[in-house]
Amino acid sequence: MSCPGNPSGEPLAQLRYLSREEAEALEKELLEDYRFGRQQLIEIWGHACALAVTKAFPLATLPRKQPTVLVVCGPEKNGAIGLVCARHLRVFEYEPTIFYPKRSPTPEYQDFTTQCEKMDIPFLSYLPTEVQLINDAYNVVIDAILGADAEPGEMKEPYTGILATLKQIRIPIVSLDVPSGWDAESGSSEGISPDVLVSLAAPKLCAARFLGRHHFVAGRFLPYDVQKKFELNLPEYPGTECVVSL
Amino acid sequence: MSGLRALLGLGLLVSGPRLCAAAGGGRCRAAAWGRSHSRAMATPGATGAKYLSQQEAQAIDQELFTEYKFSVDQLMELAGLSCATAIAKAYPPGSFTKPQPTVLVVCGPGNNGGDGLVCARHLKLFGYEPTVYYPKRPSKALFEDLTTQCQKMDIPFLPEFPAEAMLIDELYGLVVDAIFGFSFQGAVREPFGSILKTLAQVTVPIASIDIPSGWDVEKGNPDGLQPDMLISLTAPKAAARHFTGRYHFLGGRFVPAALERKYGLNLPAYPGTDCTLQLM
Repeated sequence: MSCPGNPSGEPLAQLRYLSREEAEALEKELLEDYRFGRQQLIEIWGHACALAVTKAFPLATLPRKQPTVLVVCGPEKNGAIGLVCARHLRVFEYEPTIFYPKRSPTPEYQDFTTQCEKMDIPFLSYLPTEVQLINDAYNVVIDAILGADAEPGEMKEPYTGILATLKQIRIPIVSLDVPSGWDAESGSSEGISPDVLVSLAAPKLCAARFLGRHHFVAGRFLPYDVQKKFELNLPEYPGTECVVSL
Repeated sequence: MSGLRALLGLGLLVSGPRLCAAAGGGRCRAAAWGRSHSRAMATPGATGAKYLSQQEAQAIDQELFTEYKFSVDQLMELAGLSCATAIAKAYPPGSFTKPQPTVLVVCGPGNNGGDGLVCARHLKLFGYEPTVYYPKRPSKALFEDLTTQCQKMDIPFLPEFPAEAMLIDELYGLVVDAIFGFSFQGAVREPFGSILKTLAQVTVPIASIDIPSGWDVEKGNPDGLQPDMLISLTAPKAAARHFTGRYHFLGGRFVPAALERKYGLNLPAYPGTDCTLQLM
């Protein structure tokens, strides 16, 4: 499948944009063939997402006096990645606050919540609908609500309300893997417009419609054979970095 | 009033066990997050960091898993990544005198060995050519899976240990000692006794993960391995006082602030978002 927006079809290494199916197949391969653990993967993704956030919004450049970050977590894997991301941001001396309205029933993911709580990361009991409150309180919002496996048509409350709020805020949004509410392949004409996108492993097809400032890929750890098999053609990660800017 | 205070005032914050923000507000946060500023003044590694006893190291480890609910594979991944990153700082691939940056990673029978497996995988991604020797493998899924991850990345596993130190010197530019960690006690069982004897005669640099293998975790071992590099995980152990090599790094950047305070770890600040810190 060719990369969208690539007219000349140059033979040299065009970055691959994955369909939902391919993204699932890649993850399956990591879990079943390569025997990566689920928690291990989420830790790796979350850590890399936090690093991307620090590159897009270095601590010293944040406009507010306190380096506050709001992390909005959905109920599934994308949310768990958000929790790990929040924890690492805390280690990096940001001040994350988490909004996690529907906690995952998966025991493995529950531990991620405990880890955040024990690191003194506050959890909001509800997200204010008054957008100005969010604009005033935080520097950045991390959208860790829905991932590439989500079907936006099936989205329910409270996420429809949350996304409606996020559409109106003026502070930058960082979306993890897929902007929540977008279809992983066709994107969305009315969804949120994140400032930063952190694609996990490789960009999804919808990333072709991403119009924000920074697009990072996180996934340094991907074995070469997986990269070859899915023809990812990722750019080189500099030095020992875990994320690369596209 | 800042927007955040407004949110606090509205009672929107639901949990956070040590949340003194409601009472102390900005002051409490400043105390928690200001620590990096005061520590940035301290000379890394000079006096600051506490050196742990074996008991403290074990207690902290236990607490990370039982209280903080970290999983072994989470922390092992971060620890192994720290080790590989530290190695890349001290021995960049371009600095090897051999034609290829070959590394021998010797993995022991416990968690230290697991750290070594993660380290080997990341070294491969950083452009090194690691080879693993893993004679005694625990039959637990964690270690089996880490082994599979390495094997599927075409990291060779030696069927036997090189018979002589000279052979190691010829084939590899660096040895990673991931044999024994902070739980080590008592006598060294085979095959590790012979392995350590051989390693003691190797002339290429050795980088030890957490504790130079064969050393008493607190008292060291003047007759044992003398590694060129030590990567202390979480916090240095007392044995590190006896370390005489060139590079001492700290890794395992996951210690929650509350744990650090509880044990008085007094860790120096990691630079930026780095997962390792050079203590010496």
